[in-house]
Amino acid sequence: MITLQSVKTRQVDSSKKSWLTRLGIMVIAAILVESLSIIQSRRIHAIMEEEMDVRSQMVLRSMQERIGHMLDMTESTMRENLRDIKLSLHNPDSIFRAMEYLIDDNPDIVGGCICFAPYYFPEKGRLYEPYAYKDDEETIYLSQIAGEDHDYTQNPFYRKVVESGMADWSDPYLFGPDSVRSLTTYSYPVKDGSGRIVAVCGLDVDLSWMGETLNAHQHFPSSFGLVLTADGRQVAGPPPSRASAAVVERVMAQMQEDEELSSASEWVVRKVRMARDPYWQIAQVYKTDEVFAGMRRMRLQQLLFILLGLAILFFMIDRFARSEKKLRKASEQQARISGELEAARTIQKEMLPKAFPADIYGFLEPAREVGGDLFDFYRRDGKLFFCIGDVSGKGVPSAMLMSVIHSLFRMVSPHIESPSVILQRLNEQLCQGNDSNMFVTFFLGTIDYYTGHFRYANAGHDKPFLLTENVSLLPAKSNLPLGVFPNTVFEEQTLQLSPGNALFLYTDGLTEAKVEGGQAFGRSRVQASLQEALSRGMDARQTVLSMFDAAHDFLGDAAQRDDLTMLLVQYAPKDLVQDHIDLKNRAEELPRLSDFLKGVCASLALEKKLGQSLRLATEEAVVNAIKYAYPEGSEGIVSVYADSDRREIRFTIVDAGNPFDPTAAVPPDTRLDVQDRPIGGLGILLTRKIMDSVSYARKEGKNVLTLTKNIV
Amino acid sequence: MKTTVQEIDGKLVATLCGELDTAAAPEAEVALRPLLQAQGKDIVIDCTDLEYIASSGLRLLLSVLKQAQSVGSRVTLKNVNEVVRDVLDLTGFVSIFNFE
Repeated sequence: MITLQSVKTRQVDSSKKSWLTRLGIMVIAAILVESLSIIQSRRIHAIMEEEMDVRSQMVLRSMQERIGHMLDMTESTMRENLRDIKLSLHNPDSIFRAMEYLIDDNPDIVGGCICFAPYYFPEKGRLYEPYAYKDDEETIYLSQIAGEDHDYTQNPFYRKVVESGMADWSDPYLFGPDSVRSLTTYSYPVKDGSGRIVAVCGLDVDLSWMGETLNAHQHFPSSFGLVLTADGRQVAGPPPSRASAAVVERVMAQMQEDEELSSASEWVVRKVRMARDPYWQIAQVYKTDEVFAGMRRMRLQQLLFILLGLAILFFMIDRFARSEKKLRKASEQQARISGELEAARTIQKEMLPKAFPADIYGFLEPAREVGGDLFDFYRRDGKLFFCIGDVSGKGVPSAMLMSVIHSLFRMVSPHIESPSVILQRLNEQLCQGNDSNMFVTFFLGTIDYYTGHFRYANAGHDKPFLLTENVSLLPAKSNLPLGVFPNTVFEEQTLQLSPGNALFLYTDGLTEAKVEGGQAFGRSRVQASLQEALSRGMDARQTVLSMFDAAHDFLGDAAQRDDLTMLLVQYAPKDLVQDHIDLKNRAEELPRLSDFLKGVCASLALEKKLGQSLRLATEEAVVNAIKYAYPEGSEGIVSVYADSDRREIRFTIVDAGNPFDPTAAVPPDTRLDVQDRPIGGLGILLTRKIMDSVSYARKEGKNVLTLTKNIV
Repeated sequence: MKTTVQEIDGKLVATLCGELDTAAAPEAEVALRPLLQAQGKDIVIDCTDLEYIASSGLRLLLSVLKQAQSVGSRVTLKNVNEVVRDVLDLTGFVSIFNFE
């Protein structure tokens, strides 16, 4: 039990181990494939980033160019108009006209002003600022906007220019508190002949278009363009429909911390800085997710495919391993079964007679390892018992039944004379518990060696051939096979054989041997082959082997499909010694018997010792018959027949008295004490001990006791 | 078949000569009757010339032995030949007789 348990555990362990190994391989494969995919996706990422760079650069450069152009145009406009302005310096009111020209000329310039140094025109007071601007409909308005509530001298751009004496671009600002219009002002110092700054001229440039232009053709839904001042404040941005102010604010806040933002963050920024004053920065902002969304999706799909592929691979490997294991198991089982079949074949062969006398030859060739055919023969009481059988079906099941029927035959037949009765006994036994409904065709015969008296009974087997001067079918009644009905009567038939006659028994494996789709070997070919053997004077062995050759020639390369069995039995008594004596049932006749027996032994030239024991055995049996067969005082005859073929001797003691079976008597116990030992029963004991077989039969109203002994 | 019984040195000596078969048994039985009156004397059965013995002969020997044992006599078989010895063997008589 412990061993079994440990074996089981080990099996479980090993299967678990192999499963783990497989899983390990799969995991390593998955990691490899995934690493490859990561490397690949990095490359793709880099390529996409490069692509984004190129695209951004194109947009940004062109924007930079346009803004630069705008700034250039504004600056050159300023320079070109400065002469007119200077000419107007003596007439404060004519300045308006100059301003009007100035802004009318340039589409980007939406307004212009000149802020005079305090009290430059004394008649105009401390502050004087002629101002012109155009609205969306290009209508130009002129006005003087300076006053105590609008003191430009406090404005940083004015002071910066006055202090530095240099032109200056202001930071962008909104046109009015409620305006969406974004402006920047180019301030330029106006100097008189002596180089003194008399006024600051400012041109207001509309910046609204920048945001619109920059965001008009964005590649991604959430990407947008920005223009920023040198220190990062917004100059122009996307319309709210593209990016909300909050988003822009957040991105700008992030940009404050990280100049370009890495691709790991939510936004990616590409920007260029203008190489000229006011050193604005133009930026393209991309939402990271959007740029790399395609790639991520692709990665995800790829991963999914890989996982699916690996799962399928795992499944296949598992299936393969399993089927391989199954295959290995099956082949081991196959080897074991074929080993066992080989053993079974040997056992079956062992059961068949192996030594054949000259007048008998048998042959059995199973179609598979084991077969359902059998044949057997043995001699008893001067008679040859022989049989052939064919179990329905082929292979192991029929082989098992064949062994059963063979054993039954060996057990049943030694006690029964009549072939018909033997078949009945076999049938009864076989019908018991024959749930598989298998049956056996069987032919059984006995030949009296000394008389040529042939008795036979058939149980559905093919009729044997009878070989006399020519070959004919033995007129055998079919009857039912064994194992069909328990009450079947197997009719017994007899035939007188002459010396030299033979019987050829076979199974249907011979007559029904055929090439696929062709004709069967058939009885006529069997008969022809036997005729040939007969005419050439072949012995038993030669006849059977020539039949085998004929069948094999007929089959050619075709496989033998059924078990093939043949048995040839020849009645060939040679050199017989036969004699008999009739005795009266009187003790006085015994010396005559002694003389008779001595004569028989002498004619067989037997050793003295053997002769004496044969004489003793026979005399004891005859004394029994004389004493007990006939009622006290009545007369009767006891006949003794002696037959021998010089290999075996048979004494047959026949009387017509009351039925008396001496073999039925219980033999005395030879181990008993002197005083306990009975005086009688010694005679039959001696007979039985001396002879090879002693059998009794009541036949035709007579007691027939047969004694046989091998004398070779 | 010739059967004689003599008394030699206080022992009864029976000599069996020839074939003790069923036909000879009744005659031999008569001849061996003196052995049944052994009265304690030991019995020797000389088988030197006994060529053959049948079951009736064995029965005779057995009845002699039974009678002798009941009166305290010893029975010894002398010079038993091979054939007779075999028969005694087959019937188990070897174990109940003394041999010399």
